[in-house]
Amino acid sequence: MNPAVGLAAFVAVSLATAAIGFYGLRISRTTSDFYVASRTVPPWWNASAIGGEYLSAASFLGVAGLILLSGTDALWFPVGYTAGYLMLLLFVAAPLRRSGAYTIPDFTEARLESKAVRRVTSLVVVAVGWLYIVPQLHGAALTIRISTGLPSWVGSVAVVVVVCLTVVAGGMRSITFVQAFQYWLKLTALAVPVVFLLLVLAGGQTEAAAGLEANPTQLPAAGPYQNISLMVALLFGTLGLPHVLVRFYTNPDGQSARRTTLIVLGLLSVFYLFPTISGALGRVFAPELARSGQADALVLLLPGRLVGGTAGELLSALVVAGAFAAFLSTTSGLVVSLAGVISQDVLGGSVRGFRLAALLAAVVPLGFAFLTDSLALAASVGLVFAFTASTICPVLLLGIWWRGLSDAGAIAGMATGAVLCGGAMVSSALLGPGNSPVWLAQPAAWTVPAAFAVMVLVSRATRKRVPRNVVRVMTRLHVPERPVATER
Amino acid sequence: MTRVRVTAPRSSAAAPARLPYSRELAENSDVGQVFVRSLIRSQLRLGLVVACGFLVIVAAFALVLAFGPGVAGTRILGIPLDWLLIGAGIYPVIGLSAWLYNRAAARNEARYCDLAEDR
Repeated sequence: MNPAVGLAAFVAVSLATAAIGFYGLRISRTTSDFYVASRTVPPWWNASAIGGEYLSAASFLGVAGLILLSGTDALWFPVGYTAGYLMLLLFVAAPLRRSGAYTIPDFTEARLESKAVRRVTSLVVVAVGWLYIVPQLHGAALTIRISTGLPSWVGSVAVVVVVCLTVVAGGMRSITFVQAFQYWLKLTALAVPVVFLLLVLAGGQTEAAAGLEANPTQLPAAGPYQNISLMVALLFGTLGLPHVLVRFYTNPDGQSARRTTLIVLGLLSVFYLFPTISGALGRVFAPELARSGQADALVLLLPGRLVGGTAGELLSALVVAGAFAAFLSTTSGLVVSLAGVISQDVLGGSVRGFRLAALLAAVVPLGFAFLTDSLALAASVGLVFAFTASTICPVLLLGIWWRGLSDAGAIAGMATGAVLCGGAMVSSALLGPGNSPVWLAQPAAWTVPAAFAVMVLVSRATRKRVPRNVVRVMTRLHVPERPVATER
Repeated sequence: MTRVRVTAPRSSAAAPARLPYSRELAENSDVGQVFVRSLIRSQLRLGLVVACGFLVIVAAFALVLAFGPGVAGTRILGIPLDWLLIGAGIYPVIGLSAWLYNRAAARNEARYCDLAEDR
């Protein structure tokens, strides 16, 4: 790939992000402008923004790479990423919007009337956010190395610098517009090359099918336990992601939160067709990438390999731009929500505190990213989902639907989930890939039920600690905002 | 309009503004609470039914692909059946479940509002 093309793509995306961010400055006036865009954002914009923030390095690069490596087993990843939003719609979207909370710690504090719960939730949220930023930076490192030939660290540092500059300078005020733009950029960046490749390659389908079924590596197929555990992680992990909640607040009421989620599901379904096709094309036409350990770079390399010439360069530039849009949007969404939590709980919530917190939120994972090696991107993000599913998901679900939840139960449950799932992640990392038993490598199937069980049992044992405002809060969560009589 | 400086989410911002009349009623009376409880129960039941339905369909997909006779070699337009079903076939199921859920959830809420206002 021509280094200048890759660099130009990266600079263009960064500038566009900053420009849209700063343009929005003019329409941000009040607190509610900043957080909820005055609730005037149409559902389509809002849904695009949610999609833009959600589709990370794992979706853009990782899914296709994993499909190249492990074929049909990996097809469950995009299904799980999408179905996670279905679970979010069914159990969380409308009540969470009605709770009026901006962040997950806000929600748990209001629901359980406890500062201690707030602090524990904040810790978990920060851990999740940091864990989730690391694979984004790995993705950036890979992309820079492949597209420009510069050393890997340049990519991670560049993403952190761009995100910090925009967040600290206040350029993320119109974050809704930035994220919505990023969704459509990502979709175009994947769809155009894939459609082009399909047109170029039209014909010769019979050999294609044989290529799909061939196994390019000697990796064994995943067993039923792994697939089930993965689905548990992805289905229940999505609804606990810290940067997802604040986006829902942009909806005017619970009903429109549900409508927005429906659109998000449509946008995600359309998007995931393209990494799936990319992965399939890679399996047929570039299986050697799997053997040389470059599976995650498949999406970046495919246009150059199959088309070549100027067209190939242009398509590659588009893909690189989309990849950086993915890293920037997810990272900035996470940094903003983490900075909110850190500055509120640790630094007292001043402007300087927020800026310092934003730096902290971005620089710590940069350190992690240098210390760790990139596994398969989609798989490492899958682990983050397992962690959220074992910690934040139980407290949200039980908090929304069960009156009996107590503060002691919430803390015990989150701690159990964090220790079990975190322990499994650390020990399987220490054992190394391939050596750890499946139940350690994919822990969600047992850590999520364990966290739920502990939360319920401890709440039962501490019935006296159930907050007295539970009736009021539950009413607020579930009763529609407007008298619906006007709607019929 | 005046400019304000925004630094961090303020938990005080989450405090409820004035509630609509029907909600105040719902919170303060025993009858109102009966309605609220039944609304929550019906929404939870609905969510669980849709989630279970979706999971059953997905499990059926997986089982058919694993054990269905003659599935292994089946191709449509040259693409193996399992790639088509998991790679593209599940998304419409997700969308349909979500759409049905939205309609039913809105109906539950409308029924609640009718009850709460008729009193």
